[in-house]
Amino acid sequence: MTSEISKKDTKNQDLMRSVYAARILIVDDMSLMRQMIGMCLSRGGYKNIMYANDGDEALKMVEDETPDILVLDLNMPRVSGYEVCRALRSDPRYEDLPILVQSASETPEERVEVFAVGATDFVSKPINQPELLARVRMHLENRFLITSLSDFRKRMQDELVMARDMQQSLLPEASTVKEVERASHMKIESFYRASFELGGDLWGCWSLPDDRLGLFVLDIAGHGVGAALNTFRVHATMARFNRTRVDPARFLTELNAVLVPSFPLGQFATMFYAVLNYKTGHLVYSGAGAPRPMVVSERGVRLLDSTGVPVGIIKKPDYFNIEDKLEPDESLFCYSDVLIEAPQPDGTMLGEDGFVDWVAEEARKPDRKHLVSRVLRRFFDGQPASLPDDLTAVALHPNKGGKE
Amino acid sequence: MDYKIKNEGGKAQVVFTGDITFSENVSFRQLLKDISEQKITSCNFDLTAVDMVDSAGLGMFLIAREQADTADWKLTVSGAQGHVASMLKLTKLSDLLAG
Repeated sequence: MTSEISKKDTKNQDLMRSVYAARILIVDDMSLMRQMIGMCLSRGGYKNIMYANDGDEALKMVEDETPDILVLDLNMPRVSGYEVCRALRSDPRYEDLPILVQSASETPEERVEVFAVGATDFVSKPINQPELLARVRMHLENRFLITSLSDFRKRMQDELVMARDMQQSLLPEASTVKEVERASHMKIESFYRASFELGGDLWGCWSLPDDRLGLFVLDIAGHGVGAALNTFRVHATMARFNRTRVDPARFLTELNAVLVPSFPLGQFATMFYAVLNYKTGHLVYSGAGAPRPMVVSERGVRLLDSTGVPVGIIKKPDYFNIEDKLEPDESLFCYSDVLIEAPQPDGTMLGEDGFVDWVAEEARKPDRKHLVSRVLRRFFDGQPASLPDDLTAVALHPNKGGKE
Repeated sequence: MDYKIKNEGGKAQVVFTGDITFSENVSFRQLLKDISEQKITSCNFDLTAVDMVDSAGLGMFLIAREQADTADWKLTVSGAQGHVASMLKLTKLSDLLAG
């Protein structure tokens, strides 16, 4: 508790130091008024006070001296206070600069106009010194707090962009994909987009002995920094299980054993891992609660059973292998749940049934190798640019079969 | 997500409405806090009026289950339909949450 208070005190002290070191520009055509306001502020503890004799000079000084606040008289010859306000507010650099207007006449109409031209606040003449000090201090505090918040926000955004790029680097490299494609004579069509926050999607593929390839998709629950960091954890852990890659259920079991103790409560990864013999079409797979992958051809769509406890929850999830066969004209399509869960323009979610219909429709058209991009084009037509969750879609297409 | 807690002689019933997703994280934790402040022996999550639960929502059920184990009350889930039922089945959490 004590340390919290002292931390807060230090923060306040930092803020107050910035406030009293602020650059204040007093603009008034009457020398006596300039002196009086200057003396008041200087007695109040402000050290950086500058003066301008009229609006014209004020605008030049704003440019040269970059003050933190203006105390501005309204009625001045040549360029009036109103014009100074208008000029500053039309310049994006000064749209947030606090302008404290002081004026002797104070009709309701004048007040309306003062705020309409962009003044931040108003003090009436004759100047009430404690009021002037209180208002100057308040606007400077606001200004510095907002600046420090927006600096912080900018830094966080930069860090998120960097983290997103790093996460992208976990996906298979183009050379790996090419190598698998060359060996298997299949086409891998993939799409990945991180959500506006960080997310937890990942997919990967690799070549295996005896004419086989491995393909996985996974989605770590939730999003944000926690999910993203866990994606790195899962990726690093998976790299250790070269031996069991040929056996999907064992692979998931080993991964689970490592992740159960390290995943925080409530976090887990839904996953699907398949091993395909591309010569025979023999498919072995195991599921841990990922959306059900589709086997797609012109004849329609059938769903694979990816039922299973997500990775990272319980010690004995009992993963098992299921065997299937990909016919020469069939594609395997895996995707993340945002595709079925994201709200459609009418507010409803597409759901698995709706999405299967889309895929089946697209599969009847020629050019199967672009099935994913066609389905996604349709999906993005009804979506805002930033998605609520990561999106992953990966398909393994046969090079032969299907209408070209 | 909205919820109403009814406690009848230590048997609590939480009726949910709306979606249970990542963004409901804070309300869900508040719910768990509300439950922990009551003396209960069991609690049933009634999901009849829930249209959608995402993976983060399922994670929150797991947190609830852990709290139940720790505080020695029994958690059950009922009424799941459509997408919610499919999600529970696909992830086998229907079994886990049934005891």
